[in-house]
Order: sequence, then C-alpha cells, then structure tokens
Amino acid sequence: MRERLRSNAIVKPVADALAVARRRSERAYGSVPNALRLFLLAALLIGVPFYEDPFAGGVIFDERWLAVFRLVGLYIMLGLGLNVVVGYAGLLDLGYVAFFASGAYLYALLASPASPAIDFPIDDVPWLFWAMLPAALFVGALFGVLLGIPVLPMRGDYLAIVTLGFGEIIRLFLINKTDFTGGSQGLYGIKAPPLPDFPGLNITELKSTALTEWYIFIVIAIFIVAFCATRLRDSRMGRAWEAIREDEDVAEAMGIDTIKYKLMAFAMGAAIGSLGGTIFAAFQGSAIPDSFDLLVSINVVSLVVIGGMGSTWGVVLGAVILIGIPDFLRFREASDFLGLFDPLVPFADTHNWAEDLRENRFIVFGALLVAVMVLRPSGLIPSRRRQIEFAAAAEEA
Amino acid sequence: MSSPPRRTGKVPTGWLLAIAVVVIYVGVVLIDDDKGWSFWLDQTRNGLTTGSLYALIALGYTMVYGVLRMINFAHGEVFMIGSFTGWVVLTKVFGGNDMSDAVIAPAILVAMLAAAVVTAGSVIVIERIAYRPLRHAPRLAPLISAIGVSIFLQNLFLRLTEGRFRQYPRIFPQGPGESVDLGFTSIDYIEIFLIGSSILMMLALYLFVQRTKMGVSIRAVAEDQEVSALMGVNVNRVIALTFVIGAALAGVAGVMYGLWLLNIKGTMGFLPGIKAFTAAVLGGIGNIPGAMAGGFLIGLAESVGREQLNSVFNPVLHWIGAGGLGLGNEWKDVVAFVVLVGVLLLRPTGIFGEVVGKRA
Repeated sequence: MRERLRSNAIVKPVADALAVARRRSERAYGSVPNALRLFLLAALLIGVPFYEDPFAGGVIFDERWLAVFRLVGLYIMLGLGLNVVVGYAGLLDLGYVAFFASGAYLYALLASPASPAIDFPIDDVPWLFWAMLPAALFVGALFGVLLGIPVLPMRGDYLAIVTLGFGEIIRLFLINKTDFTGGSQGLYGIKAPPLPDFPGLNITELKSTALTEWYIFIVIAIFIVAFCATRLRDSRMGRAWEAIREDEDVAEAMGIDTIKYKLMAFAMGAAIGSLGGTIFAAFQGSAIPDSFDLLVSINVVSLVVIGGMGSTWGVVLGAVILIGIPDFLRFREASDFLGLFDPLVPFADTHNWAEDLRENRFIVFGALLVAVMVLRPSGLIPSRRRQIEFAAAAEEA
Repeated sequence: MSSPPRRTGKVPTGWLLAIAVVVIYVGVVLIDDDKGWSFWLDQTRNGLTTGSLYALIALGYTMVYGVLRMINFAHGEVFMIGSFTGWVVLTKVFGGNDMSDAVIAPAILVAMLAAAVVTAGSVIVIERIAYRPLRHAPRLAPLISAIGVSIFLQNLFLRLTEGRFRQYPRIFPQGPGESVDLGFTSIDYIEIFLIGSSILMMLALYLFVQRTKMGVSIRAVAEDQEVSALMGVNVNRVIALTFVIGAALAGVAGVMYGLWLLNIKGTMGFLPGIKAFTAAVLGGIGNIPGAMAGGFLIGLAESVGREQLNSVFNPVLHWIGAGGLGLGNEWKDVVAFVVLVGVLLLRPTGIFGEVVGKRA
C-alpha cells in the first residue's frame, strides 16, 4: 500500500523533494555544536510569551496558551522523571502520582496558612519555596526508596498493579487524614514564591497569575531535569539500568547490584516527580487530594510510552499530544482550525464535530492509546538504542 | 514459554493455608466479643456476598492470565458493560419498577443472558483490535493498550449517561423484615440469590474446564501455547474463548451487582476490577478454583478484616500515642491493596500455587 503510494507519479517528486530537503536540513543541523543547539532551543522556547503577531498585533500566545504550556511543561517534567523508572530501568510504575503528591504536600504543609502541621507564621521564611526545591528532591528520593523496597521482587504487570495500589493509598490517606492533610478540602492559600531583584523583572513574587514567569521557570526547570536525566542515562548507573531492563537475571549474573540500582531508579524518578509536585503546589496555590488521582499516573505513563520509552524527545511529544491537545481543543482557535477540515467531514453542516471532539476528548484519548500501541508498539519516537533492539527482536521473531 | 513447576503431593499446601486462614478468622471472631455475634455474622454475610462478585470477576482475570500471561486491565469495564446491559433490559424492555411479578424471573434471566452475550461480543472486538496485534510486542504495549481500552469504555459510558448514576429497579425486597430468618441471623433474598447463582456458575465453569474437550484445550494452551498448537489446538480460538467466558461471567456479575446495590455508573468497574485482580493473585493467578476462593477471601477480608484490624491495632496505636490513625470505613478499599502487596511479597504463588510475580 505504502509502496504503491510512493511510486505514484504525483506523490513521488514531492516525496523526493521532501527527502532532499530533510537530508540537507539534517546536515545543516548536525553541523551545529550540541551545546549551541540546546542554547538556541532554550532561547526560542523562553521567547514564546513574547512572540508578536505581525498581522493582528499583540502577542501570539496569550495567557490561555501559557497556562496550557505551563501544564504541558509540568507533565514533561513528570514524564522525564518517570522515564528514568519506566524507560531506562524498565520498571512499570503506575503509582507515580504518589511522589507527585508527596512533593506537593511537602510544600503545601509548610506554606499554607490552612495547614494543620505548622503554627508559625510562614511570612517569616520568605525563601521557603526555593529551599523546598532541593528538599523536595531529597524527600522524593526517600519516598521512592521506601515504596521501592517492598516491590523489589516484583516484575512487570505485578509491579504495575502494586504501585497503582500505592498511588491510591496515598490519595485515600490525603483525604482521610483530615487532622494532618486538611482532608478533601486540601490546603489552600499557599504563598507565592518571592523573586530576587533581577534586572528586568517587574514582579516581586511568582503569583499563580504570573503565567509568563512561571512558564519561563518551568522551561528552565525542564532543561535542567532533562540534562540530569540524560547524564544519568549515559552514566554507569544508566548502563546498569539498561542491563536490568533487558534481563534482570543476566544483569545480576554479570555482577550488577540489581537491588541497589533498582532502588536508585525509583529514587531518581521519585525525586523528579516530587520536585514537579512542589512546583505544581506553588503555581496552583493549593494542594487538594483530587488533583492526585490515578489519572495523573496514567497520563504520565501513557505519555512516556506513547512518546517512546527511554526517549527524551518522546516525552516532550507525548506530553504535547496527551496533555496539550486535549486542552487546546477547548480553545476557540481549535474550533477555527478544525473548521478548516469541514469540507472533508461529511456531516459537518449538521454536526458541530469540533465541539463533539472536545467533549469526548477522554474517549479519544483512550482510543488514541490503543491506536498508537497497535501501530507503533515502541512509541512515536523510540529511543535510538531501543529502536535497534526492537528491530533485532523483530528479525528474530 | 516454559511451564511452571507443578506442585505434587497428597495434601497441597494451598488447602492447608486456606484452612489456616479460616481457622484464624473464626478464632479472631471468637476472641473479640464486645461487638457480639450478630455483628460478625452480618459482616461475614456481607463479605461473602461481595466476595461472590469478586470471585466471578476474578475468574476472567485468571483465565486470561493463564493462557496469555497478560493482565486484562479492561476487565473491570467489561463488568460495567454487563451491568449497563442488564439495566437496559430490565428498565427499557421489562418496564423497570412497574414490572409485574410474573415476569420477574424471566426478566432477570434475560438480563443476565443479554449481559453475557453483550460482554462476550464486546470482548471479542476488544481482543481483536487492541490485544491480538500486540501478542508479540514489547511487554508494556499490551498493558498500555488495555489501559487505553479501559479509559475509552469508562468515558464512553460516562458520556452516554451524562456522568450520572443509573438506577436498577428494586426487584428483590431489601430492608428490615424483608429477609429470611435463619434463627441466629437473617439473610436477604438477594444475598441468597447472589451467592447461590455465583456458586452454581463457578461449578459449571469448573466442570467445563475439567471435563469437556474445549476445557482440555484451554488448559493445554495455558500450559504451553506452541506445543498445543502443534497438537492441533486452534490457539487463537482458545484465547478468544477464554476471553469470552471471563467476560460473560463478569457481565452476569455486573447484573447481580446492579440488582444488589441498585446504583450503577460508568466508573463502577475500576475498584471491583482491582479487587478481583487481587483475588485472582491471592488464589494463585492462572488457577481457577484459586480465583473463586480468593474472591470470597477478599470479600471477607474487606468487611471483616478492617473491623478486626481495628480492634487489634487500635489499642496499640493509642498506646504509642497515635490514636487517630485507626482505620475508618473509608479505608475499606485499602485492604485489598494491602492484601495484594502482602501476598506478592510473602507468597507470590498465591495460596493455591503457580509461580508468578517474578515472571511476566
């Protein structure tokens, strides 16, 4: 089918031209040093809130967009964290929300006036948020090890179900331990993190409404996390994880301390998840148990797997597709954009199908998961090394 | 795929363990007397009723796992589909609460049959679309695909029902004075119906798997797919068959759930699904009688275990100054997870054996 399409008289020249252009651009891109490339990308992304529309005037991406980008960014962070556990070490963790929640509550318990845990005025500690970021990493890692120990002997599906259980237990704990966590009401009124006096910054604190600043903060955070994650992947530990992922018994026979490295994977993943939680609580201004339900874990796992396990760009693409697009569908622009396809949809004049799509986005989400898995079981952008492995496995089979 | 080592011997450890659990249970109930007999009998009755539902759902997990080594994450949603099918039959076809007494028995029968047929049909479609293409894919792929099916079905039904509950007609009288008096305790008609019919179905399944040719082929595929294919078993057909049987049982369980608890919703499948899975693991996944026993045990653990844990742990917790940490009613759902973790850690083979957990 595909071959026939490729040899088609109309398609062929276009495809050839595209292939040439792609090769050229790849060559040009490849000649740029890696660090410069990342720097350019960062600059491009940080500039997003300031892009101006040359025709209509004003910024292209207004507040609504930035709110979506911020959420997508947060999920990219979570995805990068879970990618360490699922993608690198091959441990399927369906309870990732536990670490996300622990980070969020760690900060909320200290920074919310509603918190039952403290009775000192939090205004005394203005730098609390910045101090909590490393603390969240540390506490998250601790939680990761604590929850990792009981599941050490488990593999595959069992690990998935048990970690899922942990995630649910944490949520039930948050709801039921009213005297400690504020119950289902949650903790609210979290103070906005203060900002130091930077030249060019005209705000003094990161309020939830300071979307531009939060967006930039999260972009920077993603770059740092992604850098750390890829360095971990290429380290001795990363190679140990890979060995464990491929075959735990063989890895152990090769002298790899599987217990240590599995716990390290849980700890690293959990630390990043917890960091994400603290950031989430700060920009949300509150922490309520409902934000920490199973769907978060499923979203994160799905975006890692759909993007391609072990692949950093896969996580980014997965987050954009699974978190960004459903949110985008709520926008007016989405209806306008989808309206362009009206001529292709037979029932367009009787049906507001863009609206239907928006309202049924979770149904679409489920179907999308199945479709991606069936069509590309190794994800949309498989990590380079895994791609080779899959190809080899397919030849064997 | 190598077959797991079989345990041989006259008295299997599994039965000893099961008996031990029952003895401990009775013992603990006997020791604690400040709540009185009737309280514990109520809890037991309740536990057995829920347990029979868990057992029916657990059979689907266990059978599919037995042949495919795969956890069908969407099984809870199949249960939900069955429940909604029954609701449609009972309210739209037989007139719901206005049903005349004469048609009650056929109505329930038709509802159950319809639920079984619809769930079987939908699971055939699900297997064909979402699972079969992934049989040789990397191991996380079928799991994610199953999660996708689960999200899809859950939200589809939430959407069809506008996120609201649907009510089953109140066919069985429930409430004070509407139950069978056994002298020492009383039991609702619906509970007799639930426990009785689920035991009947399980017996039928057991005989089917043990005595019929199809049953033999199911067991053969569970043992070794490739060899049974060489022996002339149509593996695809057998796999589809196990899905269908599991789904039909879950569908009937869905109708019974509706008849018993009346309110059904698109998200209703999740928790029973997880608990039934726990039951399957507890009984030794892949083991059919194990799943039945596991279901009843989880049901009991949930209703009795929580009370019992409280009466054992509360004094200790008070003593160490953490009195508030006792388990409230909301913690009921945690029991299953704790059991799951405990079983996987202490006896990954489940009480009736078959080595799992490390595999997969």
